[in-house]
Amino acid sequence: MADCVKRYNIYAPTQSNIGLEYDIIDDNNIQDIIYNTPKTASPLKLFYLPVKENVVKETNLKLVNIIIGAPSCDLAALDILDEIYLNEPFIDPFYKKRRENSIIIGTDCYSIEENCHCNVYDVKAIPEKNHDILLSFIDERIFLSINSDKGSTLLKNIRDFADVVTMTEDLKNLIESKRETVASALKKQNRKIPAYSETGNIINESDDAIWKEFSRTCVSCGACSTICPTCTCFLLVDRSGFEKIRQMDACQFPGFARIAAGEDNLGERHVRFKNRYLCKYVWKPQKFKSLACTGCGRCIDTCIGGISKNKLFIELANQVTA
Amino acid sequence: MHNIYKPIKATVKKIIDESPLIKTFVLKPEQKFSFKTGEFIELTMDGIGEAPFTPSSSPLDTEKIEVTIMKTGYVTDRLHEISAGQKLGIRGPFGRGYPLEKFYEKEVVILGGGCGFAPIRSLMHNLIAERSKIVKVTLCYGAKTPEDCIYEPFVEEVRSIEKFKVLRSVDKADETWKEKEGVVTVLLDDIEVDIKNSVAVVCGPPIMMKFGTLKLLEMGYQEEDIYLSMEKNMSCGLGKCGHCMMGDYFVCKDGPVFSYNEIKDYPGIWM
Repeated sequence: MADCVKRYNIYAPTQSNIGLEYDIIDDNNIQDIIYNTPKTASPLKLFYLPVKENVVKETNLKLVNIIIGAPSCDLAALDILDEIYLNEPFIDPFYKKRRENSIIIGTDCYSIEENCHCNVYDVKAIPEKNHDILLSFIDERIFLSINSDKGSTLLKNIRDFADVVTMTEDLKNLIESKRETVASALKKQNRKIPAYSETGNIINESDDAIWKEFSRTCVSCGACSTICPTCTCFLLVDRSGFEKIRQMDACQFPGFARIAAGEDNLGERHVRFKNRYLCKYVWKPQKFKSLACTGCGRCIDTCIGGISKNKLFIELANQVTA
Repeated sequence: MHNIYKPIKATVKKIIDESPLIKTFVLKPEQKFSFKTGEFIELTMDGIGEAPFTPSSSPLDTEKIEVTIMKTGYVTDRLHEISAGQKLGIRGPFGRGYPLEKFYEKEVVILGGGCGFAPIRSLMHNLIAERSKIVKVTLCYGAKTPEDCIYEPFVEEVRSIEKFKVLRSVDKADETWKEKEGVVTVLLDDIEVDIKNSVAVVCGPPIMMKFGTLKLLEMGYQEEDIYLSMEKNMSCGLGKCGHCMMGDYFVCKDGPVFSYNEIKDYPGIWM
């Protein structure tokens, strides 16, 4: 690791004053890295879609980024980001470069948090896609499972600096049992939450009252959209020299849909609130192959109005069956 | 790799005052640029902002493009202050334009309001060029007052072309106005069209498009034969930023031209 930090930009989760968060690793904080714990406050998406980025001036990304500790929910979320930002004929060259310039080391979660509900959307707590290496920290050692050519190349480059041992049967079983424990815990914790395939339906069946009720404490701060690994809306802000800054935006902000003459079909807050659910659970599933929600639960963690989408969906499902 | 966010530059060659609130900007792009009728561009005013406009010039003219702009907000207020010689930025062309082949062998009825005449004028240039393939074209155009009517020279020119007819109305007439008074849909009472062999194009403020469409349906038009140019808040213009979403459509990519059957059950179509 000490050698790697000289040759790459390495980001890994460490404890910060807002909880677990990606920090850049240097010689001083290697021992502070926390492995196999869900999930950092910031989603993986912010490495690829930073809050502000100049999209006219060419960037000089010198060092390759290694991102350690990407959880399965964030990795599954990359599918829809790729589907939107890399689709022909309008490929976003800045997003593309950042994706190509990073090596992702995923970790599976050996514990769960109260709002984690990846399993409800068929996302396992074990990374299954979009990562180059899978890392398990067990028995004071790091075990790596290669998942791509990029991962294999990295390992070749660092092999000389590591004490390489092979995985034993015992350790393998230990990892398996941790994974099973997590899977059962998720299943039990989230047993009442409706599955992804049902959510579109229960939203379409709903009336206005439940949306007004649940959005009562919403202040349109947009935190849910900013922190969401699958939300990608942005605004292009002009700078002189015909430059443009791509700035992450949120449909929760007033004026998101307002047109020049002043008409605004998302003018009312409860309408904006419902609109985000329609977008993620009805319209995006019609339009894209990828999941528009991977059940990470950050929106619930972050909402300053204390709104829980899991509670909302359970309530919506009850209304339909009632 | 082509940068989808970087505009090409265009010089403002001339600015035409169309009405108290509307100006046409004649632009000469610094690189080769072409568009199809109904497609739009994102026009950048350096350091100020960017907004979507459907060019109003003929798509067949490769030397220049014209954009007709109403003064109605942050960017357009400042665009109205510029002079010829200034450089603007263009990204595009974007979107799905008018399907010209659907208009062949048909009677085309066009309902336009206010600044909605802009995309219509570019469409009409195409129809004029291909008039041997069109049965006839009737344009019904409406504005608030006589001085809000735009493209007077173009209207006169079109009236002299065989197969083309232009009917106009204003909400509030004055002594000089010789044509009809009332909202633009009143003109539909006066058209002589074989509706069974007709397609309709509607373009203007959302409320006008709503009532225009409803009247055309009443008159017997099929939902798939009414073409609308939908208006939404746009930023990227290319199906990523999410501002123009209308149900599961990106209006900038799946539209802005839609046939009514494609959007009739969608939320927020009339704002």
